[in-house]
Amino acid sequence: MINDKTYYLDLFKVSDRLLDELTREGLRTGGDFCDLYFESTTCSNLLLRDGQVASGGFHVDYGVGIRVLKGERTGYAYSESTDKASMLNAVRAAAAITTGTVSKTLDISNRHRFGKPNPAADRYPMIQDWRTADISTQVPFLERLEKAIREKDQRVIKVIAMMSNQVSDILMYNSLEEIKYDTRPIGSISVSVIFSQGGKTETKSVSRSFRSGFEMLDDELFNDIVMDAVHGIDERFEARRPKGGKMSVVMGAGASGILLHEAMGHAFEADFNRKGQSIFSEKMGQKVCDSSITIVDDGTIRGNRGAVNYDDEGVPGQYTAMVTDGVLTSYLHDRISADHYGVRPTGNGRRESFRYQPIPRMRATYMENGECDPESIIASVDKGIYVDEFSNGQVQIGEGDFTFFVQSGFLIEGGRLTMPVKDINIIGNGPQALADIVAVGNDLKIHNGTWTCGKEQSVPVSCGMPTVLVKELTVGGE
Amino acid sequence: MSENTFTQEELQLTELAMKIAREKGADKFRITLNRSTMDQIGTLDGEIDKVTHSLDRSMSLCLFVDGRFGTFSTNRLEADAIESFIEKAVAMTRLLAPDPCRMLPDQSRVEKGAGSGLELDLYDPLYEEMTAEKRLETALAASLYKTLQKGSLMSEEAEYCDCLFDSLILDSNGTRCRHIETSFEYSVEVTLADEAGRRYSAFWWDAAPKRDEMHPEICCSKAIELAKAQFNPKPRRSGSYNMVLDTACSSRVLSPILKALNTYSLQQQNSFLVDSLGKQMFHEGMTVMDECRSRGFTGTRLFDSEGVATKVMPIIENGVVKTYFTNTYMAAKTGMEPTIDDAVRPHLMSWPKPGMDRNALMKECRNGILVTRFNGGNSNSATGDYSFGVEGFAFKDGKITHPVREMLITGNLIELWKHLKAIGDDARPCTTRLIPSIAFTDVDFSG
Repeated sequence: MINDKTYYLDLFKVSDRLLDELTREGLRTGGDFCDLYFESTTCSNLLLRDGQVASGGFHVDYGVGIRVLKGERTGYAYSESTDKASMLNAVRAAAAITTGTVSKTLDISNRHRFGKPNPAADRYPMIQDWRTADISTQVPFLERLEKAIREKDQRVIKVIAMMSNQVSDILMYNSLEEIKYDTRPIGSISVSVIFSQGGKTETKSVSRSFRSGFEMLDDELFNDIVMDAVHGIDERFEARRPKGGKMSVVMGAGASGILLHEAMGHAFEADFNRKGQSIFSEKMGQKVCDSSITIVDDGTIRGNRGAVNYDDEGVPGQYTAMVTDGVLTSYLHDRISADHYGVRPTGNGRRESFRYQPIPRMRATYMENGECDPESIIASVDKGIYVDEFSNGQVQIGEGDFTFFVQSGFLIEGGRLTMPVKDINIIGNGPQALADIVAVGNDLKIHNGTWTCGKEQSVPVSCGMPTVLVKELTVGGE
Repeated sequence: MSENTFTQEELQLTELAMKIAREKGADKFRITLNRSTMDQIGTLDGEIDKVTHSLDRSMSLCLFVDGRFGTFSTNRLEADAIESFIEKAVAMTRLLAPDPCRMLPDQSRVEKGAGSGLELDLYDPLYEEMTAEKRLETALAASLYKTLQKGSLMSEEAEYCDCLFDSLILDSNGTRCRHIETSFEYSVEVTLADEAGRRYSAFWWDAAPKRDEMHPEICCSKAIELAKAQFNPKPRRSGSYNMVLDTACSSRVLSPILKALNTYSLQQQNSFLVDSLGKQMFHEGMTVMDECRSRGFTGTRLFDSEGVATKVMPIIENGVVKTYFTNTYMAAKTGMEPTIDDAVRPHLMSWPKPGMDRNALMKECRNGILVTRFNGGNSNSATGDYSFGVEGFAFKDGKITHPVREMLITGNLIELWKHLKAIGDDARPCTTRLIPSIAFTDVDFSG
């Protein structure tokens, strides 16, 4: 972490005085709140395909996003230049939101103030900055990865491996005179392997991503990716579509958390509730599921893809329990929704880049451990399916209806995992599925894949889950 | 010309970048300069909710250095920043493995008639007349929230947006292609609640390159109509049904086919259409034309991302695969004939007769399920097996009877298209992929 305000001021060619002048200009025509979000991002990538790293590059993005709030209205503009004239033009464009009357003003009270410069939190371990790391040492990592995967399984016919990293320097200032700065690294590796057996092909994709420096490329990560890339391939070739219908579904620990993110988490985001669009809009304080269930959104896991020292409004990252012992206890808030509901922001105001205004977004979303043994959960199911990998989930926020594609899983017959299954969907309704969870395992696992949430903008997130039994969902099949 | 297109200073930057690239050691290069200006007005329940103004400029660089290749981009367009950017880019490219297949397209394939960027008639001079007041007026006038008795209407969230986009491709072989377009768009999402409090949402939008061709006034009422129609869904027994796909979602069964025809997928053996060129893979009623050069229509382009001229051509003709999408690199790598890098404006042609819409297709099928929205799911790119969540309506004797939801369709795309019954003629011109309503027989539904 770079803990030096001068570094950020110099990088963006601004002074304390200019920051203050810009926010004052933002409020001059009657705005309630103004904030500035400076960003300088460098991302680079290397691609291994057909046995060699013959493609790569880097990308530079720089600018400032300026927001003026008038009541719950938002004026937003950005500039790719941080010279004073360009920024003043952007401030005035954002301040156009103040024209006309609004029914309420934003209450700038103590609940919106968040401390002095920079955080005690240090959630992005970065010993070696990606920006100064030697690329010539990254190429062999990918080459070794391909070789090791091919050696592990003779059926491998193609390996595509991508290594990417991004480091963003961020400076935030607002009309509460709060200044926050942060340097955010993120490193990712994605591997796609194609296997061939008896004229059939199967694909396996594996990814890992951390808010961490170059030192994340260690042997532990290497071995983890290699083992995962070849794991479960026999089952994939054997897998068939099962007979469809309504049945019990056991969600395996880890990656099943994406279902929690999509089918429930979005409905807890406060903007959908503030606008009356979410199925949970009128359920705060009500029991929504079994009392053994606690669902959280956590920005405090060090090195996690969803970790934040500060969110993109300068609010500290937090651990937020959305459902506590089965009761809906909190939405996920940015400053606007927090003001609307009269609560403190939860540190969920996030954005893709300076080009976007912050909105409530998840960080690392997971269900806390229950008390059941995972083996006993499977043993309790007479007929159903066990799923350990989902993809392509989609949810209708208003209705709560969701569909998820099952990448891999097994039939459960008589309490035992039997035939491998694939290419099926699970379909259901989020609130109903939540209410239908009848057992929660004690094996919570956070999944460290390259999860990216695409609600209007793309932001890095992660998810997790203990083994969970849903008593009935619709499974599509033959 | 518009003050929102490239300035002389920005155009001169490309000359500077070319000079620096040569000086730093690039053998060949391609530079793409982009500029876009966008204004958005968001409304919530008939009141202004957000106003956004943006100007984006960026330069992308493809470098060929000592037989190696790299891609780079920056939005820092000051002269000194560009010099440092290119210097680092050349240095990084030198660290990559050589790849003899990387090359610029042959000049005989490059578009020569895109000098001004205005050739496709996608620029509307009325864009210059748009003021903050006019944008506000357009956004508010299209909202119906304040004129309706609220009742079941929980939320109406809408957005008006206009944009001017200018793009220029240059390369060291002399390629110079420019594309300028304006776009005007209005979209709205409504959420309604039934008496039991269950919510139903629907989305509708319209867009056009010309302001007077975009009709925001129809969007709210259409979205409300779509949301209301979903009230009181009934379960439908699993089984094999006729399926009519509404034009709003029918591209979901064509897009995986177009993706499978890309030589990247084919070369990686991650395509269910390997070795299909010239073969009858689909029903004879299926013809997809790439109508990429039709003047004045959304999505048309005279050239692809390499500057290669697009060509009006069949992609699939009477069920026979006629084209793979093969860029210069993949052509060199696979030995295939180069074409363009992707479909530009594919049009699924009506069959067996013109003029049918989804209602006509339901009449043709008599009984079945009309699918109006997909909800998740996937298709396996290597096998074509699919499983999609769907919503829509059951129909009997050609008429809608009741809404259905929480259903899945499963099967294989090749098999699905063998069961083609008819293709409508009702694709919306505001979309870049002209895919009308489609009717299939014997589709497996579960739910």
